[in-house]
Amino acid sequence: MNVDLVLEALHEHFPTDPLEPRIVPVDETIVTLTPENVRPAVQMLIERFDLRHLSAITGIDTGDEIELLYHFWDGQGLTLRTSLPRENSHTVTLIDLIPGAAFYEREVSEMLHVLFDGHPTPDRFLLPDDWEGEPPLRRGVPLACQTDNLENGELSDQRHSRFKGEARP
Amino acid sequence: MSRITIPIGPQHPALKEPLSLKLVAEGERIVESALRIGYAHRGLERIFQNRNYVQNVHVVERVCGICSHVHTTAYCQGVEALLGLEVPPRALYLRTLLCELERIHSHLLWLGVLAEHIGFTTIFMYAWRDREIVLDIMEELSGGRVAHAVNVIGGVRIDIDPEYAHSILARFDDLERQIEVFLGVILHERTFQVRTHGIGRLTAEQVRRYCVVGPVARASGIDVDMRRDAPYAAYDQLDFRVIVAHEGDVWARTMVRTMESVESLQMCRQLLHAMPEGPLAVRAPRRVPPGEVVSRCEAPRGELVYYIRSDGSDRPARVKVRTPTLPALAALSEQLQDINIADVPTVLAGVDLCIACADR
Repeated sequence: MNVDLVLEALHEHFPTDPLEPRIVPVDETIVTLTPENVRPAVQMLIERFDLRHLSAITGIDTGDEIELLYHFWDGQGLTLRTSLPRENSHTVTLIDLIPGAAFYEREVSEMLHVLFDGHPTPDRFLLPDDWEGEPPLRRGVPLACQTDNLENGELSDQRHSRFKGEARP
Repeated sequence: MSRITIPIGPQHPALKEPLSLKLVAEGERIVESALRIGYAHRGLERIFQNRNYVQNVHVVERVCGICSHVHTTAYCQGVEALLGLEVPPRALYLRTLLCELERIHSHLLWLGVLAEHIGFTTIFMYAWRDREIVLDIMEELSGGRVAHAVNVIGGVRIDIDPEYAHSILARFDDLERQIEVFLGVILHERTFQVRTHGIGRLTAEQVRRYCVVGPVARASGIDVDMRRDAPYAAYDQLDFRVIVAHEGDVWARTMVRTMESVESLQMCRQLLHAMPEGPLAVRAPRRVPPGEVVSRCEAPRGELVYYIRSDGSDRPARVKVRTPTLPALAALSEQLQDINIADVPTVLAGVDLCIACADR
C-alpha cells in the first residue's frame, strides 16, 4: 500500500473532510473523517487499493465525544479516525464490506454503547448475560470495587451478591 | 431429517478454555453454529487505565497464559516509541530470543492438543515432553515457565552468559531431531492424514474476508508475517523463511506451525551466535508525553495489535488489545459449516484458539 496515493484519493473523494494526516509510531498514518464518510472511504479503499485487512476497531471515550479508530494494515498501518457524539452515538456497520468487523463492532458497541446500524447480531459479546451496569469503558462509570462500600471498612453486600450469581445492583 | 441442537461449553471436556458453542446438527452434519465468548473476560482494558505504565507491564503479561512474552513486547515497544527511547541492541536480541522460544513452546503445545483431539495420544505425549526442553530454557533464563517478566520499559531484565548460551545450543539439537520426527508423522502417518486432510478448510478469500491472521492465514496461502513485513525488535537482523501452505485445512496448519518451529530454532541459534555486547536497558521516565501509538507484533497465533494513548500522565488514557484469536473466532462458523460432528474438536483445535486472549 502506498500511503501517499491513499491520502491523495481520500482528498479527492472527501474534499470537505478534515483528514489531517498524522504519522504516529510505529509506522501508522492516522486520517480523520466525518462519521458518515467512514463507510464510503472504506468502500473506496477496498475497491481502489484492495485494502481489506482491518486489524482492529478501537473505541475511546475522551470525555467530550466517542472516538472510533479503524486500524487497517497492508505493509504499513492506516487508521481512519472519526468522532461520534456521546449522546445517542451510532454509526453504520461495515460488516457487509468486511465480515471480520462483526466481532470488533460488537465489542465496541458493548463497551462504549455505540450502536452500529445494520449489525445483525448486536447481542451480548464479552459481558455477562446478567450485566446491568453502564458500558464499562465509558468515562465516569465506577469499577465494581469502587461501588463496594469500603469507606467504612466493611465490604458491602454488593460484592457478595455478585458471587452468588445474582444481578448486580 | 430432524434437527438437534447440541450445546458445547462453556465447560466441556473437549474444551481447554471456556467457550460456548451451539451446534445445530442434521444427523451427523453440522448445519448451523452460534458462538458466545466472554467467560474469561476480566475487564483488562479498563484495568490498564487505572494502573501506571510500569504496573501495566505485569498486567499485560497476564492477557495470555501461553504467549505472555509477546504481549509485553508489543506493549513495551509501544510505550518506548511514545517515550522516544532507544532500546539497546542486546536487549532487543534477548527479547527476540524469548519471542521465538515462546513460539516453539506454543506450537508444540498446540501440536499436542491437536494430536490428543484426533486420538493420537503418542504424539500428544511426545510433543508435550519435548516442549519441556523449551520451558526449561525459559525458566532458567527468566525464573518463570509461563510468565517470564523479561521485558521492562526500556529493555530487558535478564542477561545470558556465553557458557549458558552453549548449553542452550546443545539442547536445541535434541529438540530439532524431535521436531523432525513430528514432521515425519504429519507427512506419512495415515491416522494423522485422515483426521486432518480437508478438515476445517478456509480459502484465501475467506481468510481475507474475516481478516484472519497468523499460521491459519499462512496455511491458506496468505503470505503475511509481521516479523518480516513490519520488523520489530531484532527481526530485521535475522535471516528466516515465512512458511506458507495452500491447502487451508488443519493438515496445512500443522505443517505451517511445525515448520515454523524449526525456523524459530534456526532464528534462536542466529540470535545466540550474534548476540551483541552492551547494556540491557535504558532508564525510562515514569510520565509519558501525550501521544498515541499502534504497535504490531507477530504472536505465535498471528498479528497482535496494541493501541496505546497517553495523556501526559503516568497512566495510559487507553490501551486497546486486539489478539489474533478474535478474527480466528469470527471465521469459525465458516469452518464448522457442513462438517461431521466428530470433526468439531479437530476444527476447534486446528485454529489454535486462545480464549483468555480473545476475552481479555
